[in-house]
Amino acid sequence: MEITQNYFETWLKTQEKLFDGFIENTKRTQQLFLSQQYPGLSGNANGFNNLYSAWSSAVLKSMSEAGGNSGDIKDNLTRMLGGSNAYMKLCEVWLPLLKAAQERSLNPDAYKDYIDPSKYKEIIDKVFGFDTDATKLMLNQAVQFLELVSGSGQQFANPWIEATKSSVSAYPEFMQGHPEALIKIYHSMFNAFDNTVGKVFHVPPVGKDREKFELILRCFDDISVYAAKNTEYQHAIYITGLGAMDKVVERLAEKITAGEEVKQFDEFFDVWIDTSEQSYFKLFQTEEFAKLQGELLDAALTVKSHFFKVMEMYFSDLPLALRSEMDDLYKTVYDLKKTVKKLEKQLKEVSQ
Amino acid sequence: MKQPFLSFDTKSLIKELGDFNAKFIKGAGALTEIEDIDVGTAEKELVYQEDKLTLWRYSRNDPSTCRTPILIVYALVNRQYMLDLQPDRSMIRNLLNLGLDVFIIDWGYPNKADMYLSLDDYINGYIDNCVDAVRKVSQSKRVNLMGICQGGTFSAIYSALHPQKIQNLVTLVAPIDFTTNDGLLFNWSKHINIDALVDSYRIIPGDFLNGGFLMLMPFNLNIRKYVDMLDVMEDKEKLLNFLRMEKWIFDSPGQAGECMRQFIKDCYQQNKLVKGELKLGDQVVNLGNITMPLLNIYASADHLVPPASTKPLNDLVGSDDKTLYEFKGGHIGVFVGGKSQKELAPAISKWLHERDGVAENAVVAVEDETAGTETAPEAIGETAPKKPVRRK
Repeated sequence: MEITQNYFETWLKTQEKLFDGFIENTKRTQQLFLSQQYPGLSGNANGFNNLYSAWSSAVLKSMSEAGGNSGDIKDNLTRMLGGSNAYMKLCEVWLPLLKAAQERSLNPDAYKDYIDPSKYKEIIDKVFGFDTDATKLMLNQAVQFLELVSGSGQQFANPWIEATKSSVSAYPEFMQGHPEALIKIYHSMFNAFDNTVGKVFHVPPVGKDREKFELILRCFDDISVYAAKNTEYQHAIYITGLGAMDKVVERLAEKITAGEEVKQFDEFFDVWIDTSEQSYFKLFQTEEFAKLQGELLDAALTVKSHFFKVMEMYFSDLPLALRSEMDDLYKTVYDLKKTVKKLEKQLKEVSQ
Repeated sequence: MKQPFLSFDTKSLIKELGDFNAKFIKGAGALTEIEDIDVGTAEKELVYQEDKLTLWRYSRNDPSTCRTPILIVYALVNRQYMLDLQPDRSMIRNLLNLGLDVFIIDWGYPNKADMYLSLDDYINGYIDNCVDAVRKVSQSKRVNLMGICQGGTFSAIYSALHPQKIQNLVTLVAPIDFTTNDGLLFNWSKHINIDALVDSYRIIPGDFLNGGFLMLMPFNLNIRKYVDMLDVMEDKEKLLNFLRMEKWIFDSPGQAGECMRQFIKDCYQQNKLVKGELKLGDQVVNLGNITMPLLNIYASADHLVPPASTKPLNDLVGSDDKTLYEFKGGHIGVFVGGKSQKELAPAISKWLHERDGVAENAVVAVEDETAGTETAPEAIGETAPKKPVRRK
């Protein structure tokens, strides 16, 4: 820790002189790019990032409108945008430290105070493809669909939607090292469950729609299991990311003792990538993670499977070929094909 | 006295970020100028097709110097054109130049109509029919079978069940022993509820599998690769090389559910192949029945199929003539790495030529045992384009 302390003190002094120039240069660069007043360096790199986001959106839009390129090129550009966006986000995350150094308010023992957990979370989301909005939308739509087919009224859906929002908003708290955030999420999920499905479980369903009703209840239960498992999974990913940040700082400190220099952001980027990769590899190697991943997949598949069953029940009166009916058809065709191939072989053998 | 290590030069930092954006803008411009990404351009002709499968024979300008043709069986995951990704990185072209008569199976893209295809259908059905088609077309009693990755596992199983049709067996980075946890996929697969997966999807989406592959090195494969890519985008040839690889990586066919179910359950989860308990139809697979010469190639730094899974094959076969070959590199480097181009194809060709079995594998008339449609080469107009098509 003493080495880290020394490093930060030295760094602090050096940055003090450099920062005045940094801010001025940043202003000028931003103005050149944006042709508008620079909003000021307020602890983030919004200038760069906004510019980048606006430009990348425009490129993607124009490519999709042009329609002259192959899907491969478009897909590749999308992936390139994703990778580059993460690079810029990383830069954005670390800039507050530089600002803190300039203001002499940087405490090297608490470097995480300068890392915006929500922004760091955005990087991790990009790397692992977590789409919070899509998850919220999926859960909301699933609940709304189930509400619709169950005809049970809004009491069913609202607690779930609220619980989902609450869960998602609690993620940044993980990044700040608040274990109570996880407990909060489980409480919120449990309460939502108790206020909806839990109550209904005490009411014995009757009549011919009993099977449908039970399946719908099952779906609610499935979604709660999936949401909880997904939370657990993402938590493991975020916490590992946070641990990786600690290691990045440690590795930077090690470099100073070895007399090395890190002058460019690219060099920092390399340290961050390598350290993060190693941290996640260790996590992924564990039996616990493999098990958790398997459980998450299983939970997702259970939701999907029961959801399809509900849909089949409600579409069965429509003039549509249902999935289970197509399965039967495919099986028949498969069996017939196999028989034909076998007979053809036998015929050829007999004729030779 | 040394400078403080984190002494970011403000001007250079600004310049760095500016350069990054400039490279990005230029790179995107370069991308928009490319209309098509050409892969698998070595000339070939269709010789057999069955359902979605096609069997191709690569064209030669001169007679083969090896009497026994070689049939390449690629994995169901990803596409076989990895072996001919571009002219200067092509195991196919190298094998052709070294005198081999090369055939390759293209499994095609299964859809839900193929959901019931089993391991038995792929190995005792499709592969067996392709072997017979190659034997007939080339008038050869036996074929050299070269299986790659999962295709190597299939080839080993096939060779154990039909040893009389195989002259030599070559396996490349083929998983055999699934007990290892050296590779993340091996560890993860043990905890997958494959029944639920197959029952839910029927055809396992290629994107699902790709998601798993990307998770093996998420930071390098999702971020660094594309940041590094910006450095080569101004060079059109280098950009095309990059894009060809990207095309291959994300060109992932879905997997027939029943086949996937058995492969994951019996191999990854229960290691039945090594235990001698794997059943295809009513046949039990005994790797000890592999008595033909074996060349087993593994990659020392393979993170997808670790050497611990590949190497045990040599201890399980009944062959007296067996070679274990270490390629110093990774799973993909085996096919497209610069070292591979110089090293691997010559090694395979030499090994096969030395075991060509002239006396045993004399030219014979082969009975037509195939169930699909054999296609006369002259009737097929389908050959791969010879030149890349680009838009200016």
